[in-house]
Amino acid sequence: MTRLDRTNCEEAFRRLDDFLDRRLTPDEMRIIQEHLDICAWCTREFSFEASVLQGVKRKVRQLDAPTDLVSKILSQLPPEQEGQS
Amino acid sequence: MTPLSHVQKTGSLSSDFVRTPPVTFESLFTSVAHAAYGIAMRLTRNQADAEDLVQDAALLAHRGFDSFMSGTNFRAWFFKILINCYYSRRRREKSRPVTSDLDDTPDLYLYARSGQAGFPTQGPDPASLLLEKLGTERIVGAINRLPEEYRVVSTLYFMEDLSYEEIAGVLECPVGTVRSRLHRGRKMLQKALWQIAEEDGIVSQPADQEDA
Ligand SMILES: [Zn+2]
Repeated sequence: MTRLDRTNCEEAFRRLDDFLDRRLTPDEMRIIQEHLDICAWCTREFSFEASVLQGVKRKVRQLDAPTDLVSKILSQLPPEQEGQS
Repeated sequence: MTPLSHVQKTGSLSSDFVRTPPVTFESLFTSVAHAAYGIAMRLTRNQADAEDLVQDAALLAHRGFDSFMSGTNFRAWFFKILINCYYSRRRREKSRPVTSDLDDTPDLYLYARSGQAGFPTQGPDPASLLLEKLGTERIVGAINRLPEEYRVVSTLYFMEDLSYEEIAGVLECPVGTVRSRLHRGRKMLQKALWQIAEEDGIVSQPADQEDA
């Protein structure tokens, strides 16, 4: 029996960031998940934090690279030197 | 007589690594160029500087390609070079004033503020309305308000699906440092997002410091 077997809101909250980034052991993940299953309050907070992280990721990744970027850069590299010793 | 060089190339005791099948720099670079540009764009905030940065990194990576261990993670290796190029460019510029009014951001800042301002705090994807109203440029701007050491690690985290270990490799710092900066950085980011929401009039600024 570990302390986490009967986790409370405070203990769950302390692991929020690691839980969202899946940095906990499978056992810890399961224990937090079990707490979330019975605690509407923590579920609301965890969901909100997850929504912020996912939303920011989604937004900042909206970006197009110039289509000629790769060819432009590759064309400026010095030619390959074959058989250097 | 077998020349020694031949023995070394084929002998099992050889520590020389042989690239088989030939993985070209070109193909590897092409596979990461888009992601590298994304990170460069978020860090430098302008297209010309971002292109220059990726170009610098490509030149250095190309020059040092012999030191890249075939079969290891080229993406992380290239990002490390990219970040180092970014830092050396920044050193040449005047350092920006460090804003640290984000330092003491309490937990669940955005959650609490959203609740007070009548923005959703529950339901599927509750933060999306606020983030949608802010828009990509302003969200990037919020990340850029973080102190440098939080800004770079957060940019890598939000732009790319890198593990903490990979980010630590890119930044050449301990995994624990990555973890604490990410966790602290995301708290600061929430306050920065709210500041911008106030500046943009998405939410109303408090008329006065909350008088009890
Ligand atoms: Zn709870």
